Amino acid sequence: MLRRQLVCLLLLLCASSLLAQLPANTILVKGAEPSASDTRTPLPEGGKLVKDVYENRYFGFSYRLPSDWTEPFSGPPPSENAGYVLGNFVPSSTFKGASRGTILITAQDLFFSIIPPRNAKELIKYSSDHLQSYYTIEHPPSEVTIAGRPFARFDYTSPVAGLHWYVLATQVRCHVIQFFLNSRDPKLLDSIVHDMDQMKLAAGDSPRCVAGYAQQNVISKVDPVLTERKFNAIPVRIIIGRDGKVKHVHVISAFASQAAIITEALLQWRFKPYLENGEAVEVETGIQFGNAPSRMQTASTPQATQ
Amino acid sequence: MTTRRVIPLALSLSLLFAVQGFGQTDPGVRGGGAAAGAPLASVAANNPVTILNFFNDAKDRFQEIDSVTGSLAGEEGKGLGPRFNSRSCAACHAQPAVGGTAPSVNPQVADATAHGAQNTVPSFITQNGPVREARFIFFTTNGVPDPNKPNGGVEDLYTITGRVDAGPCSIAQPGFASQLSQNNVIFRIPTPTFGLGLVENIADETLLVNQQNNFNNNQGVTGTFNHNGNDGTISRFGWKAQNKSLELFAGEAYNVEQGVTNEIFQNERPLPGEDMGIIGGQSATNGLPANCRGNATPEDHTNFNTTAIGTLSDLAQFAMFMRLLAPPTPSTTVPGGSTSINNGRSLFSAIGCAICHTPSLTSVASTFTPGLSNATANLFSDLEIHHMGTTLADNVSQGGAGGDQFRTAPLWGAGQRIFFLHDGRTKDIQAAILAHNANGSEANASSFTFFQNLSTSQRQDILNFLRSL
Repeated sequence: MLRRQLVCLLLLLCASSLLAQLPANTILVKGAEPSASDTRTPLPEGGKLVKDVYENRYFGFSYRLPSDWTEPFSGPPPSENAGYVLGNFVPSSTFKGASRGTILITAQDLFFSIIPPRNAKELIKYSSDHLQSYYTIEHPPSEVTIAGRPFARFDYTSPVAGLHWYVLATQVRCHVIQFFLNSRDPKLLDSIVHDMDQMKLAAGDSPRCVAGYAQQNVISKVDPVLTERKFNAIPVRIIIGRDGKVKHVHVISAFASQAAIITEALLQWRFKPYLENGEAVEVETGIQFGNAPSRMQTASTPQATQ
Repeated sequence: MTTRRVIPLALSLSLLFAVQGFGQTDPGVRGGGAAAGAPLASVAANNPVTILNFFNDAKDRFQEIDSVTGSLAGEEGKGLGPRFNSRSCAACHAQPAVGGTAPSVNPQVADATAHGAQNTVPSFITQNGPVREARFIFFTTNGVPDPNKPNGGVEDLYTITGRVDAGPCSIAQPGFASQLSQNNVIFRIPTPTFGLGLVENIADETLLVNQQNNFNNNQGVTGTFNHNGNDGTISRFGWKAQNKSLELFAGEAYNVEQGVTNEIFQNERPLPGEDMGIIGGQSATNGLPANCRGNATPEDHTNFNTTAIGTLSDLAQFAMFMRLLAPPTPSTTVPGGSTSINNGRSLFSAIGCAICHTPSLTSVASTFTPGLSNATANLFSDLEIHHMGTTLADNVSQGGAGGDQFRTAPLWGAGQRIFFLHDGRTKDIQAAILAHNANGSEANASSFTFFQNLSTSQRQDILNFLRSL
């Protein structure tokens, strides 16, 4: 009995000494990060690689990677301008192919973009028009269909590096999703584009996304009072139910105390229901808190888009 | 490198180099004379008249060695301690010249016992390792790091106890060994100060426009700025861009690193928590003992008895020294030749490194000297803070910068630096690039492109270019 007690005590001491050691290579003290009012509702940053398929429920996104590709490292948290790195994929250590490349998938929330373009086509044209001088355009912006969806595309190269980029952009839930494909072998990139036809990318039964809905349709609200001066921009998306109540809050980037205050306040806001063909439907919109970022002059007014 | 950093680095290497091999090598510290440490050209030309006198006086003070009472021969600087990391600005900011970064021989080893001091050299300070300051990530409760109590303040390595000029002061060093065993310690090395007058004189608007121009880049990079808590403007000095001005930068360092109270930081500095009667989770006397606070404060201040350059405080002159230093001069041919360097420069931009490491920014009109006025600063930094992920996270938040966010380190002068990254963990510039790969890093895409999509000779060209800076 005594021996058993001593063994237990020893195990407990060992366990507590292990617990006392902080984990290495772990971000324990976080800066601004995303949070949500519930864990059920899919989020843009919630995508993950399952075996060799990237899945993202928020965007209705399912994309099979090329054979023997992987994602060695996850991307950063969403930015304070609501930019996301959905995935960054490279050939794995067992890859035997002749050509190597990289696939970067990003998403930009159009409600919080600081540059003028307001849809995928405009963004591709903007990127093409503002391409750095050390790149050369191989194929100017065009519209293509991939997996049954319209994409905007343009290709460019770095003559010095011998590298090629194919950029393909489409729009889902008022986000522009961009694929940046990079390799020195255009045939590899062509094959990746070809295989993208197998991709599933559909918002499905998601709320309508409407820019500026909160500013013009609020019936009652509780203003969040932020107590800390952090000078960060705080982009927030909300889903408003058919009854005009806020059913979901996604604080895209904020410090923890800021997120708590904003979420608690927003859940008390009431809106006019969004009507479509006379019927109330769920709507998703964006609200900017904190320090509004410096934005370039917009070329067009915000649009209500799917 | 400590064990906990070797393992993920090895994993990264195996993932990225299994097929590609590892043919390129860091050429090492660029030889020849120091390509930095001189004043701006307009300062050297004494424009405006007498500014060169100010620079030379400032440099002398930067090199002055501090003692407790200022009464030791050759160590007339007054106010060292009672806690300190080293005894002179120039001791740590030394490579490749005064004003630089950590030298090859660490002065902190000798500092430990200079003039009878009774310090134990911590295990992370070695003769040929980098100059370092140490910080505990969390305060402790019952000796165990408590995640509910973030610390992050500098834990000075040494005390003046036992020094011939310290009197009866007797205080203990922090418990580094126990905190190291619990992974509760992080390190910072000195940042180089060359060209900081140019950095100071870049307008916030310039930085914001640069950020906008890099929006929607092909690397998924999305940085932000740290801000001064008082007026909300962009801060830009320090590893996390936490300091607004050179005076603040200098004053804090003078007080924290050498223990010298000054006109910006007027009070003797206890260890984090020591002023709350807590050291290492154990109760202790509130604050520093009275017999360790023998000098009137502040120990450095404006000198009212003179009307010449000597009037200025050390603090003001430290800031002036950094302000008037010219940026490092890159080499056009070494290492590898001009073709390789130029090719590397182009590749550096092509694969996206220049998004964060912005090659140049322009200052605004300056009232100090023409060399700072509407001048091009080839600093290779956007002065934004970026997520660097788990490999580089130090878990210290400063202003708006979280535990894994760092200011893009300016790369001017990288060619003659010995130690890299915020804690000096590597001397190999390629290992520093590899450390950009991590969970949560904004730099994964560029780093992947470097290691995956370039040829060995192209990677070598980039390394040669970096070592030419």
